[in-house]
Amino acid sequence: MILINPMILYAQQVYVNPGVSQVPDDRQTLRAIFSMRLRQWPDGTPVTVFVLPTTHPVHVDFCKEVLGVFPHQLQRAWDRLVYSGTGQAPVEVDSLEEMRQRVQETPGAVGYVNKENSE
Amino acid sequence: MIQRSLLMDSHALFRALLRVMALGIAISGPAGVAVVRAAQPDFQVHGFLSQGYVLTSENNFFGNSTSNGSFEFTELGVNAFWRLTPSVHAAVQLLSRRAGESSNGEIRLDYGMVDYRAVSNESLDFGVRVGRIKNPLGFYNDTRDVAFTRPGVILPQSIYFDRTRDLALSSDAVQFYANRRNAKGEWELQLGIGNPDVDDLDTELSLLGADRAGDLREELSYLGRLMYERDGGNIRVGLTGAQLNMDYAPGVGDPSGPGSIRFTPVILSAQYNAENWSLTGEYAQRQLEFDDSIIYVPSSLKHFTGESYYLQGSYRLDPQWEALVRYDVTYLNKDDRNGEDMATLTGGARPDYSQFAKDWTIGLRWDPHRSWMVRAEHHWVDGTAWLPLQDNPVPSETERRWRLFTLLVSFRF
Repeated sequence: MILINPMILYAQQVYVNPGVSQVPDDRQTLRAIFSMRLRQWPDGTPVTVFVLPTTHPVHVDFCKEVLGVFPHQLQRAWDRLVYSGTGQAPVEVDSLEEMRQRVQETPGAVGYVNKENSE
Repeated sequence: MIQRSLLMDSHALFRALLRVMALGIAISGPAGVAVVRAAQPDFQVHGFLSQGYVLTSENNFFGNSTSNGSFEFTELGVNAFWRLTPSVHAAVQLLSRRAGESSNGEIRLDYGMVDYRAVSNESLDFGVRVGRIKNPLGFYNDTRDVAFTRPGVILPQSIYFDRTRDLALSSDAVQFYANRRNAKGEWELQLGIGNPDVDDLDTELSLLGADRAGDLREELSYLGRLMYERDGGNIRVGLTGAQLNMDYAPGVGDPSGPGSIRFTPVILSAQYNAENWSLTGEYAQRQLEFDDSIIYVPSSLKHFTGESYYLQGSYRLDPQWEALVRYDVTYLNKDDRNGEDMATLTGGARPDYSQFAKDWTIGLRWDPHRSWMVRAEHHWVDGTAWLPLQDNPVPSETERRWRLFTLLVSFRF
């Protein structure tokens, strides 16, 4: 069973691998995860972040509503990490379907889904 | 004298790098399935390739850029990132840059380091990096050669001098870092101790006025940057301080004695990001001190301070188009802003306008695809303070007022 974050205010939801025991639900932690700063879960499992393309409407809404950042800021934060050697980029998937599949099969994975489609 | 020993090998390396780039472009394919797609959590490869065209009304910038313009502006880089354990990663980037006479396309190790993160939780990261590390100076130095991450084709030269760029690029160093997060924002502190790259002709030309008989040698140097990002980066402010230490080692028959050189830049950075526009400004003071025993520096210039700032606005017209306007000011010596003292001291060999530069820039960025970017930019410049010395060997034969147009195409994966 997949755990769904109870952030009912938004159309997008954080989506984690079943092995992740504590689903992050505060903005500070989510920002740390999606800006690729947080590297491991409290149990030591490495965090693996999945995102949709930066122009995908679900990605745009997730950034603005759930994280409270603009997609261009997140992209620049990733670029700074990737091209200075201080971090890595999230793994990009093409569709919500692929997002679900990759998150389910990757230990420590975290991504997001559109609530309407997740039920 | 500058070591060129890597030059022979670099051609073979350059070809190898080109093949990797070609592979990247082939894999990414016309359908736009970028290589990022293939990025795996534990191992990632990324790269970039930029080709520029530069046309100037007067003076040379990145090659012989007057009349028909110059294509001698190419940037090429490939990097790899390994997550070895949840708390240890290694990263390496090779970089080749051709820019007129100053950069010849030689491959350099841009960074190559191991990062150990001792603490990583939702409110704190703490760790250490060892190896060759990018110097965190201001907003843009860490990724200054990656066109996608720059605010324009050419970085604001007041702060990010391309003519002493090697000094700024990276250091063989140990760097401690900490990130502290709370509901309001994030603090990031980086403190490094190590050796910068001073073995570069441009650095010697800028500091000692000519290619002297001796060599510049690096000494232990210090660099720190504190950055605060409020509310996910709506407001970003930073303070950078560095003390770069060098020694002049005289050559055979050198009339000058040995001595030390100390370069102490301080940079204040501030940025506001709205959904469609950003406003960025940086201000710097750079102190330069020379020992009396170095005879190539006149006594009145043994200790002076340079001053720089720029203010830049960018507007995102839509996700693919961005417009830029910037005003950028450089004074090599803040006690001689109009350059008269220098002109008098050198009998006109260094004209007054070689001591300042005021640059109005407008630019346009087009991102037709996530992996492709095209940029055009126009500069109106008064002064030659940051004009590359190797492209313009005789300062008195330059023109005070000049224009620069540049076009850049960039690919990344």
